[in-house]
Parts: sequence; C-alpha cells; structure tokens
Amino acid sequence: MNEDELRVTADLAEIELTDEELASLGAAVEQLVSYFEIMAEADVDGLEPTTHALLRRNRIRADEPAMDPETDADDLLENAPELEDRFIVIPNVL
Amino acid sequence: MSYWNRVLGAPHTREAYAAFVRAQDERLGAFLEFDPERRNTADRGTEDGRGAGGHRRGVGLLAGLPVAVKDNIAVAGFRLTCGSRFLEALRCPYTATAVRRLEAAGARVVGKTNLDEFGMGSSTDNSALGVTNNPYDHARVAGGSSGGSAAAVAAGLVPLALGSDTGGSVRQPASFCGVYGFKPTYGAVSRYGLVAFASSLDVVGACARDLDTLEAAFAAMRGLDERDHSSLAPEADTGAGSAVPAGGAEVRAVGVLTGLEGLAPGVQAAYASTIAKLRGRGYELREISLNTLQYVVPAYYTIATAEASANLARYNGVRYGARPEMADNPDELVRTARDEGFGPEVKLRILLGTYVLRSGFQDQYYLRAQRIRTAIRNELNRAFEQVQVILTPTVPVLPFAHGEGELTAFEQKLADQFTATASLAGIPALSVPGEWADGLPVGMQLLAPAFAENRLWALGRELGEAGTPPDYPAFPEWAASAGYRLDLG
Repeated sequence: MNEDELRVTADLAEIELTDEELASLGAAVEQLVSYFEIMAEADVDGLEPTTHALLRRNRIRADEPAMDPETDADDLLENAPELEDRFIVIPNVL
Repeated sequence: MSYWNRVLGAPHTREAYAAFVRAQDERLGAFLEFDPERRNTADRGTEDGRGAGGHRRGVGLLAGLPVAVKDNIAVAGFRLTCGSRFLEALRCPYTATAVRRLEAAGARVVGKTNLDEFGMGSSTDNSALGVTNNPYDHARVAGGSSGGSAAAVAAGLVPLALGSDTGGSVRQPASFCGVYGFKPTYGAVSRYGLVAFASSLDVVGACARDLDTLEAAFAAMRGLDERDHSSLAPEADTGAGSAVPAGGAEVRAVGVLTGLEGLAPGVQAAYASTIAKLRGRGYELREISLNTLQYVVPAYYTIATAEASANLARYNGVRYGARPEMADNPDELVRTARDEGFGPEVKLRILLGTYVLRSGFQDQYYLRAQRIRTAIRNELNRAFEQVQVILTPTVPVLPFAHGEGELTAFEQKLADQFTATASLAGIPALSVPGEWADGLPVGMQLLAPAFAENRLWALGRELGEAGTPPDYPAFPEWAASAGYRLDLG
C-alpha cells in the first residue's frame, strides 16, 4: 500500500496521522495486508459468506420504542462534556 | 454462610478485603477501579440499599460472591473506560444484561479490570490507563485483552471475573495466568452492555479458578435477551433444527491436531502430556487435520478490523468522551478527538478495517474472509461428527515479556490461531490450566459444538487444576499477618 492509499484510508476513517504515525502505522498496515494475501489461495468456491455464526435468518422486533425503565436519558446526558439545559454544547467551530 | 459471604458480609471484613486487594494490586495492576461497597444495580438509588423487592441475596454458589468485570462491560456506578483515554472519564449509567443476571443470582461486582484498549491486543500493554503484570513473573504480560480479569482471579483477589472474548481475549490471558477461561457459544450470553469491538465475534466470557463457579456463572448469564438481537436460546432455529447436539455431556472421543508447526517447546510438551493423560484415562484420541487453520488468523483480522472500523466510528467526541477545547471546523473536532483519544493499536485496526472495506477491495478481503469463515465452520462440523471435543493448545507461545522484545505485535496476532478458530465458528471453548513450562502456566483449549458447553465442563474437570502464584498470599493469611482479626469460618 502506498502513502497515498494510506492517506485516503485515514481520511475515510477520520483519523489524523502525523508523519511519524504515517511511517509506523503504514508499515504495520502493509505487513498485515500482505499477510492477508494468503487468503487468495483458499478454496471457497460455492460457499456462502458467514455473517452470524449460527443464526440463519434475521430477527426483527416489533416497531415500538424499547425503553429501559432504569436507564434515564438525563443520566446519559451527564456524560456530555458540556450541557446547556438539555442541549449538548460543542466547542466553537468557525 | 459461605466464605465469600463472610468476606463481603460485614463492614470490617470488607474493609480488610479492600486493603488486601489494594496491597496486592500495587504489584499486579489488575484493577482500574475497586469498590466492594458498591450496591447491586437493582438496589441502587434507595436509601438503605434495598430495592423494591428487598435486597437480593440470591441462593447457590454465586450468592455473595465478589466479581470483577472487565472495563468494557457496563456496570452502573463504575466507570466504563475500555482502557482508552477517550472514555477515561465516562461514568456508566446502566448495567449489562450478563452482569444483571449475575447480580440477580447474588453475585456482587467489586471492581473493573484493566484491558487492551477496546479489547484490541494480546498483552493488556495496549491499555492507556495502566500496566497489568503476570502474577507468576511481573516482567511478563498477563495476556489480553482481558488481562486484568485473568490476573485478578489467578492472584486470588476475586473468585470470578468477567471478560470479553472476540478472538481469544478471555482464553489467552487465562492460559497465561493459570486459570480457567471460558468463551460461550456466540449469542448464548447477551452482549447488551458490552462495548462493541467486532459484533459478529464478541462474546461475554469469564475466568475462574474452578469449574463449579464458571458453570454457575454461565447458567446465570445465559439465555435470550430482547435487548440483543444476536442473542440465542439453545433451542433457536439455526436452520438445521435444534442447535443442541445429541449425546449430552458424554465425551468418548477427543480430536487432536496433527502436524502443528511453530509451537514453543514448552507448549508442545504440554500438549503431548495432556494427550497422554487423556489416553491414560481411557479416552479415544483421534487425529484430525484442519486444512483451514492456516487461514484463521488472516480471516479473523480481516473480519474483526472491518467490524471494528464501523463500531468505533461512533467515537467522535461530540456527545461524550474526550475532545479538544478548540477546533477550527467540525471535521477537525472529530479528527482531533480521535487522534488524541485512540492509541496506536486501535488506530492500526481502524485503518486496516477501513481499507479492507473500501470499494474495490471488499471482495478480495472482507467477503473472502467471510467465505473462509464458512469453510472453517464446515470443517469443524465434519470433525465433530467423529469426536465430541477437540483439544488444542490455547496459545502456541508462553507468556511473553512486556513490550515487543520477545514477541512483536505481528507475532502476537499470529498466536491467536487456535483461539480465533472457535471465535470464527461461534462455538464454545474452554482454556484449561494445569500444565507448566519454565515455571509459567500453559493452558490447553477444549472446543465443542455450539451449545455443547456441558462437554467442556465434563472434560475440563478431568484435566484442569488452577495454579497458585507463590508471591500472592490468600486473603485470610494476609489479613492475619496484617493484624486484622477476622472470623472467616
């Protein structure tokens, strides 16, 4: 993987890379991607991909709000870095 | 009243217990947070600590039992850091289903344990919040990612600890620390409240020094949960009728792998010794070969990082978590929050996962890995027509030194081969302690078909014995030497 590919990937992942990280993480990504090439040798003709190891069909629930009576929305909001009433405040962005 | 009931039952014993754990943990580094005074979830918010139904004490083996929980599993009243700077300050407002079910059986959560950031690693060295040592040799790692949970159990600080296991994260540290480590069938235990890493592989598992405790914990935690739509009851329709295999717990034939390469000599010897032990006890041993084994690690890391890159997209620093004071624009806010919040291993896996999912590469990597996953499951299913349980080493290497001097980060990933096999297939697995090499524990892994956990208990009882790290005293002895006068029965 060249440096441009890595930059595009980092951009998609919303990860900022310093030049130092570009070198160290780039080398590690490259090593793993090269290692993944061995998968090309596996005989998987006619095999369906596995998404859930055991369940063969999708499960859906009724389209109703699933409220947890013991989890309060205000408790969740308390983890916001800054609140104004029940609004989450983000840093000033221009 | 049981021993642990006495420990947690009175303020002065709890105080001594807390002092004991803190003193041991200065050397061990297993806990990120410890508080034996915490009230159970159902009893919180009431003045006398009794919920509407009265204080739930539970009955049976788990009643009054202190439990440690890996810090990527939600427990109200504790933090939920995932070993990450990003979530260092997060106070958890709710409790995971698995933990609530343990609490309903009487167990009490006393602390949260250290882990590789978001469960990504094999050493717990990837935690941003502390170092966990192997209780048998502090220069070595406890394993990971549930290193804190395994070390806490091995050192006798708690009798039971929950972990999460995506590719071996409970079994590998259990092997390194000389305790039992259990990964249930995928979906058998609800993931509600487990912070997602790779959703199609993640399970809540546990470490203990004895199988009675593990079995009781699994019995309490298991079952369908409407809050986790990937959770399964044993009678679930998996496309081939009931998922529970016939034959019950009885184990007659055990599959052993031939032609294994790259095992450390100590692990090789332990594997041979375990096979000899089983043969001596009258089990039929059948050699099996798994042709897909060579594809396990690449398929596992393709799938796990792909899912991780999607799951970790939620950490953008807006609604919760660490974030910069200032940003020039919204993009910079998100990027700076992620840059400062994530460690290098997490960044590596997000990059890798994003890459294998990019348009043009999906067929080559992600889709191919999912097909290989099917091939692995098929091959294991065929093997389970011949044998009831398959025996492998848990990890091909011995507990390694902190850092990358003995084993590079890449080599640490390669060592997931045997554990990730069970993860990809969704089947239950147990790391059994009892073998030793150079004074270090070596775990052996038992694999069974989906929902055949009872075979793991049956064979595990034949083989296993947890070790006792020489430098870690039991609580009563420590308490006596520290001048506490306790009646612990």
